[in-house]
Amino acid sequence: MTNMGNVLFNKIYYYFKWIIIIIFVIYAVFPFLWLVLTSLKTNAELLDNPFSLPNKFQFKNYKEAVTSAGLGQLIINSLIISSIATFINIIISSMFAYSISRHKFFGSNFLFLMVVSGILVPLNALIIPYFAIINYLNLYDTRIGLILVYSAVGLPVSIYILTEFFKSIPKEIEEASVVDGCNFLQRYIKIMLPLSVPGLMTAGTFQFILCWNEFIYAMLLTSSKNIRTIQFGISYFTNEFFSDYVSMFAAIVISIIPSITVFILFQERVITGLTAGAVKG
Amino acid sequence: MIIRKEDRIWLFLFIMPSLSLFVVFFIIPILFLFITSFTNWDGIEADFVGLNNYIKLFNNKTFIRSIVNNIYWILSSALIQVPLALIIALLLSHRSRGWKVFRTILFIPQVVSSAAIALLWMALYNSEYGLINFILDSIGLEGYKNHNWLGTISTAQPALLAFWLCYVGYYMIIMLAKTTSISEDYYDAAKIDGALQFHMDWFITAPLIRSTFFTCLILGVIFNLRQFEFVYLMTNGGPANKTGVLVLYIWKELQIQRLGLGNAAGVIMIAFGAILLLLMRRILRSPNYD
Repeated sequence: MTNMGNVLFNKIYYYFKWIIIIIFVIYAVFPFLWLVLTSLKTNAELLDNPFSLPNKFQFKNYKEAVTSAGLGQLIINSLIISSIATFINIIISSMFAYSISRHKFFGSNFLFLMVVSGILVPLNALIIPYFAIINYLNLYDTRIGLILVYSAVGLPVSIYILTEFFKSIPKEIEEASVVDGCNFLQRYIKIMLPLSVPGLMTAGTFQFILCWNEFIYAMLLTSSKNIRTIQFGISYFTNEFFSDYVSMFAAIVISIIPSITVFILFQERVITGLTAGAVKG
Repeated sequence: MIIRKEDRIWLFLFIMPSLSLFVVFFIIPILFLFITSFTNWDGIEADFVGLNNYIKLFNNKTFIRSIVNNIYWILSSALIQVPLALIIALLLSHRSRGWKVFRTILFIPQVVSSAAIALLWMALYNSEYGLINFILDSIGLEGYKNHNWLGTISTAQPALLAFWLCYVGYYMIIMLAKTTSISEDYYDAAKIDGALQFHMDWFITAPLIRSTFFTCLILGVIFNLRQFEFVYLMTNGGPANKTGVLVLYIWKELQIQRLGLGNAAGVIMIAFGAILLLLMRRILRSPNYD
């Protein structure tokens, strides 16, 4: 190839790059912008022209979604269930990860591999057993039932992230504390937990987003309105007799705000968490 | 760390909570799934029926259709979604101005719940007020003015797949991160040899992130095997049972209390996933460049 050809080719590739990136960025953003915009229109405006700007911002759609569809209760349920499940999951998986990553004992490696292989199990195949177990435990249609399930399904990922993190903390710090007379519990609480805040935040962010977004188990294991989570709640809007479209859009917007907010706040943690595992292959 | 005697009791106490949850929600369900798949359990009583459930499933058109559809999901992720993600990861790996912002924006759809994405795209596909028909109509394709994308046999499955395949953020971010581990020396040497950006992307970066590309393919298999929300919410398997997937099939068996049969489908799903993963590991095992 001649030098001129090279320059031209590089230029074409450069433009190709920006065109591709911009197309995909628009694709990622535009549907959400349309969603927000439409949630501020009237139903008549929407049916008339789905592309037009609203004449006047209809904030009452949001009020309508919260009151008539009982979205307020759904959000509170989701917040309670997601926060408690995240808290429990992080506490117990950090205890587990601390035990197996900082102590070599018979079976410690096996325990790690067993739990982490849970990542590869397509859990949705287990809906019938989960339904049976939760019924057997008398936890059907309770918050505790969902909290237990969410704490459990997040274990493999949380334990994986935290084990890798604990392994990266130098041994000397902990050994020095043994000399100072710290026992097992003190080492965990006073030395390891403070040092592993970034790891705990990574695992916690993943777990919270998982719980907030979870749909199938919420639908499977709850039935009454005062337990139901928001993801299951918004699916009621797909009912064919429901014609207040703009309130449905408002409800969807409300339902996605928490996970996007958590992601934006902790995005560096999410990205390191996603890549820590994958880079190792 | 040396384990002292008094540590043993602590170790036990620290391991038990996670381990017992893992046993109750992973090990017992899998054993339970397997055992009941040989029975005609209906929630009340269960008789051993041998391989009957499996025979029934493989003679059931809807079930076969569900497996085929899962294969569509997996293949289109492996052939379209992950390669697209690779292209974008390579382009963003130049770290041109604003690449971090683009990375974040491309990832946002991945943190939005599947339920919300499904409802959003149902609205976009809607035949009365959907944006897609409106756009097609305004560029002159009038035949699509009132086309019901998700309700028409010929377009339901493609429409269900298409919108999701273009969300590439998840795989992109994983591959993009891997590019940071590549030494600058390779690029410097290539530049001396007169390599263009295109060559560096496709002949240096791409081969070096091969193993991560394969990791993404494996993740794609797992995600698309457990596909449920989009199908359940957007078509519920219709029209004419053409778009169902395995999890939806199990869900429907649960609704009519054919729990043994549903669990046999679950066993097939897990076995199918395991076989695919083993095959992929075998095929994709590659010389390591690192």
